[in-house]
Amino acid sequence: MAASRVVIIKAGNLWTSTGAVDPAVIAKMFARGFALLTGERDDAGALSSLFRPDDRVGIKVNTIGGKAISTRPEVAMSLAGWLSRSGLQEKNLIIWDRTTRELSDAGYTTSAGRSGIKVFGTDADGVGYEAGLVSHLGVGSLFSKIQTEFATASISLAILKDHGLAGVTAGMKNYFGAIHNPNKYHDFHCNPFVAEVFDAPPVKTRHRLTVLDALVVQFHKGPSYHARWAAKFGGLIFSLDPVAADSVGWTVIERLRKAAGLPTLKDEGRAPEYLATAERMGLGRADPASIETIEETIA
Amino acid sequence: MNRRGFIRGAAGAGLALGAGLPSLCGRLAALGAVPNLSRVEARYYAKLPDREIECRLCPRLCRLGDKERGYCGVRENIDGTYYTLVYGKACSLNYDPIEKKPFFHVLPGTSALSMATAGCNVNCRFCQNWEISQARPEQIDHFDLLPEAAAARAAETGCSSIAYTYTEPTVFFEYMYDTAVRAKRKGVRNVVVTGGHINQEPLADLLAVVDAVKVDLKGFTQEFYKEYVRGELKPVLEAIRAVAKSKAWLEIVYLVIPTLNDRMDLIREMARWVKNEAGAHVPVHFSRFLPMYLVKNLPPTPVSTLEAARRTALEEGLRFVYVGNVPGHEGESTFCPGCGNVAIRRFGYRIEAVRLKKGTCEKCGTPIPGIWA
Repeated sequence: MAASRVVIIKAGNLWTSTGAVDPAVIAKMFARGFALLTGERDDAGALSSLFRPDDRVGIKVNTIGGKAISTRPEVAMSLAGWLSRSGLQEKNLIIWDRTTRELSDAGYTTSAGRSGIKVFGTDADGVGYEAGLVSHLGVGSLFSKIQTEFATASISLAILKDHGLAGVTAGMKNYFGAIHNPNKYHDFHCNPFVAEVFDAPPVKTRHRLTVLDALVVQFHKGPSYHARWAAKFGGLIFSLDPVAADSVGWTVIERLRKAAGLPTLKDEGRAPEYLATAERMGLGRADPASIETIEETIA
Repeated sequence: MNRRGFIRGAAGAGLALGAGLPSLCGRLAALGAVPNLSRVEARYYAKLPDREIECRLCPRLCRLGDKERGYCGVRENIDGTYYTLVYGKACSLNYDPIEKKPFFHVLPGTSALSMATAGCNVNCRFCQNWEISQARPEQIDHFDLLPEAAAARAAETGCSSIAYTYTEPTVFFEYMYDTAVRAKRKGVRNVVVTGGHINQEPLADLLAVVDAVKVDLKGFTQEFYKEYVRGELKPVLEAIRAVAKSKAWLEIVYLVIPTLNDRMDLIREMARWVKNEAGAHVPVHFSRFLPMYLVKNLPPTPVSTLEAARRTALEEGLRFVYVGNVPGHEGESTFCPGCGNVAIRRFGYRIEAVRLKKGTCEKCGTPIPGIWA
């Protein structure tokens, strides 16, 4: 069986003199990332290998960390821009999270008009959670209607962070924001719950792609923001394999921890064991030996 | 207000998302609306370095970073200070017969103003009220009802007590405590319906202001608690001991679930434990399970199992053992342990006869413990 591919794209000129990110560079990172991920020559080809033209795509971001350590609006808008330029209709794209307030606090301009890219949370008036409980393995949850009714395809556009309980929060755990009761799934280092929420039909049947915002990575004391342990990694991580994406994210965190003289997550007793569980459940590859990682820095 | 059906959006606000992305034009005011949550500093927590906190209200001892919520979903660390989000934010308010809690030895035939907020610190897979107990406060309808107003409502409507119930009152501790203090001043009693997942310090403080506590003892093995309750047995037993030693009246409910916690040897062990650690006078209710929430693959508890459990507990020396959720069963009534006559006859939540005289059996004079006036 072929290895799962994970693509890390970095850019040397990502940061502007004011410390902001350059959206034009982000756009280039997406174009290159999708090309390497799909092996397609052009954007349209890459897109059509991932989505149908009439797909309604939910881009699930993670904005619980506020402006300091959330999926950046520049990244989310750039991804949405790439999707629309490459063939999807803007009106069929939504950038979303649990609450509109969290999106606003993270710097997103919320929008809910008929045309254009939508940006709002599950709590928006008239949206909410499904009435029917999804009971799947050890999980019993109500799923956001954005995930179940709007989206025909789903992208996990997560921020990559250390997590005090889970070890790592990245693309799979991002879907905790699609259920009404994520607080119930943090026992036992979130294992097996991260894998089980992902395996639930509303997620598993729609998820197409993971992209990790690793421009700034919280590598210790997460998921809250602590400037002292946040590093400008300057990368975006792409994979069609949700487990492989997060496993590579974990290696990035370990790399940054080692550079800072911190012990490994395993040494701290909080390695993200849910990744091995996810692999056993057939959700993807967790073993680095079965992951092909392509890392490239664009000019 | 009914306790069910509050999951926001589930009520069908009208958007058909599947037909394309919804247009929320005209509803933009709702985008970014601040949820109606309280921001009252929590009690029983410790501030830690790096804006972290450790909650010390319940045995989970949630350790949380900035912007994180506890397992209960109703307490949040905001920039290093821990807040309760549900102070004065009731999601349910009903006038219930106190027998519904159930309390069988507390003011029979009276009405209890029964209130709850969202949230729970366990996740029982057979929860009857999961729509509110397993939700975050902003996900369900709730309304402002501050402690003074709740106490006044109870007094004005002739309720003899306020019951903190439906969800897990431990998670709205501050709200419950302050309401209880105010109710007490108005001559209204306070009764608590809890799973007993609470630490000793807050429990001791609570016991100073409430009159009765009903503990749901959900099983008698740690394995059951881990698998079906997502909690720990030991702190629940410690809580039962603490209530038994206090001035508050104690009753225990054991929901008997077919194949999961209905082994008679365990029920015998539990009854023996209750007798030794809490007292033979403590009422124990064996309640009938009905398929619910995440346990829908099991049948309702056979009445014969409940009867066997009751028999077993009586054999072990418990003096007041009841059958619950079987309206009309003779095990709903209180029998005098002295003469065996019916001291209180019940049918469902209805009291049909009270044959007590100043807390003693009208017929033989044997004391029947409880709160009778």
